[in-house]
Amino acid sequence: MVELFTYPPILKGFIVLILTGFAFPITGVYLLRMNLLPLRFMLMHGAILGGAISLAMDVNPFGGTLIVNLLLVLLITWMSRSLKTDPGQLSAFFMVVSISLAFIFIYRFQIPAKDTLSLMWGSLYTLNGFEFIGTLAFSLLLILFQSFFRHQLRAVFFDADIAQTSGVNETGFYYAIILITAVTVAAAMKLIGALLLDALLLLPALIASYHAKSYRGMMLWSSFWGGMFAIVGFLLSLALGLPASSTIAVFASVVFLILILAKRK
Amino acid sequence: MEHSLILLHDNRQVFTSDEHWLYPLFELELFLKDAAFPLDQLFLKDKIAGKAAASLIVRLGIRNCFIELLSERAIPVFEQYGVKYAYDQLVDHIQCRTEDLITDKMSMEDTYLFLRKRAGKVQGTSLKINSLTVDVAGKRILEKLDLELGRGEQLVVQGENGCGKSTLLRSILGLILPVSGSVSIGEELVGSAKWRKNSALTGYLNQETIKNYFPITAAEVVAIGVSGIKISNRERDYRVELSMRKTGSFHLQNQLYHQLSGGEKQRVSLARCLCQNARILLLDEPTSYLDEKGKEELGELLVDLSRNEAPTMLLVSHDTNWTNQLNWYKKTLKDGRLW
Repeated sequence: MVELFTYPPILKGFIVLILTGFAFPITGVYLLRMNLLPLRFMLMHGAILGGAISLAMDVNPFGGTLIVNLLLVLLITWMSRSLKTDPGQLSAFFMVVSISLAFIFIYRFQIPAKDTLSLMWGSLYTLNGFEFIGTLAFSLLLILFQSFFRHQLRAVFFDADIAQTSGVNETGFYYAIILITAVTVAAAMKLIGALLLDALLLLPALIASYHAKSYRGMMLWSSFWGGMFAIVGFLLSLALGLPASSTIAVFASVVFLILILAKRK
Repeated sequence: MEHSLILLHDNRQVFTSDEHWLYPLFELELFLKDAAFPLDQLFLKDKIAGKAAASLIVRLGIRNCFIELLSERAIPVFEQYGVKYAYDQLVDHIQCRTEDLITDKMSMEDTYLFLRKRAGKVQGTSLKINSLTVDVAGKRILEKLDLELGRGEQLVVQGENGCGKSTLLRSILGLILPVSGSVSIGEELVGSAKWRKNSALTGYLNQETIKNYFPITAAEVVAIGVSGIKISNRERDYRVELSMRKTGSFHLQNQLYHQLSGGEKQRVSLARCLCQNARILLLDEPTSYLDEKGKEELGELLVDLSRNEAPTMLLVSHDTNWTNQLNWYKKTLKDGRLW
């Protein structure tokens, strides 16, 4: 199995997966704590729209999904705050709009279905130079953001009003969290696909929330589980000759189930 | 007498002060907090004392004193509390506005608190609301409301549910923009750039409705109070511990916040406000989810706070039985105004 790492796509995929495995669960904690699950679903649909537009324009889908997702989260956040509307409802609305527009693009520009569907399961081994460096840089930035602003983020997660009255720029951090979520979802879709991205984002955070005894513990345990899922899942996929994304997701799900059952006992 | 105040123990000078007015006695209060002298073996020499100084001497627990110039108004205070006194010269009163302001109706604690405020020995800052009008969802909630609170003062705002009590607090916090009028905290106008830099001077203790099942310890909640400022981890830990000890919640530091009882949560929240070094505390229905024991404990904590740190406190509640026990000044919010 070791010889497989001599192939650049596999080595690149492994390096990216290790770093994102440890970094992306941080966003999972943000999603859970800020109750942004509807937004995540919308972003998955937004990424398909971005991908469809990119394919129609014959450009790299990664950039398209990133731009569409960023625009959508900014629009939803601005609308929910200025119109005082539930972001969950707005997310549902834009989810429908995104997927409808995506299919219009697919139909109108006769994009092959398999190309569009490749967005659903990711393509870890086809990372180009920009995607490789970009994903690594974003993962490092995410870890630095969490480390540097951990106190302010803790306040925002606890209560928006209390954060603000403690001198924290709650609005600024909310926007930062939303933008980070958009980039993470776009990057995770490229790595393991729309259907499986929760294995890197949500499952580690969910597992950590069951046994962590503090906010600090929650962050550290989420990262630990995410890293473990990525490394073990990737190695298992090579050993068993299975797709990396599915193997990571199945391994994460099995660990999740075992821990839930163990907790019930 | 070479100093304005001298404290002797076994005829040995252990404390002196050259300050004026009541400040030597407030300095002495700080000195005695850390010292371990038997109070009945202490002898105090003061240059001048009226009713105010006599009250402070009694509160310090001093049993023997010599005053160079003593006001006759101080004598009943000394005699009531069994303080042995001697003097060089007795006058019917001393030229001090403070002495005139202390009335016979004031208890010893009221007098002490009054003197601390007058000496500027309070953490609180002033609050001034000028003709405040606030709409929420197109409905007028507050209408040309005026309010003024001095440093370290406490006020209970009562009123029926939905009368705008929480809206009043949220306006003071700058969480709701007014249609017209202004709110000033100390010298800063709420909403101004200067206020934004100092917005942490206002502590907020909201109704215990935060459904926070996310893992976060009590100490981490208290540390939120200093999230908005840059301090070292050591300073942060020190402030968290100090404020938790002050509110009797230090033993809860490693417990998960959502597993605490309502009363314990309010203790932790008060510690958060103290850690924040809040100069004004806004308490929104703090007893909403408390049982009788929790209410009693919170009441004691607030009374302690008003006597020690003495932040300016504005409490809104419809629990009149509980607020009556606090013995704070009260106003009622009705038709968008305070009465």
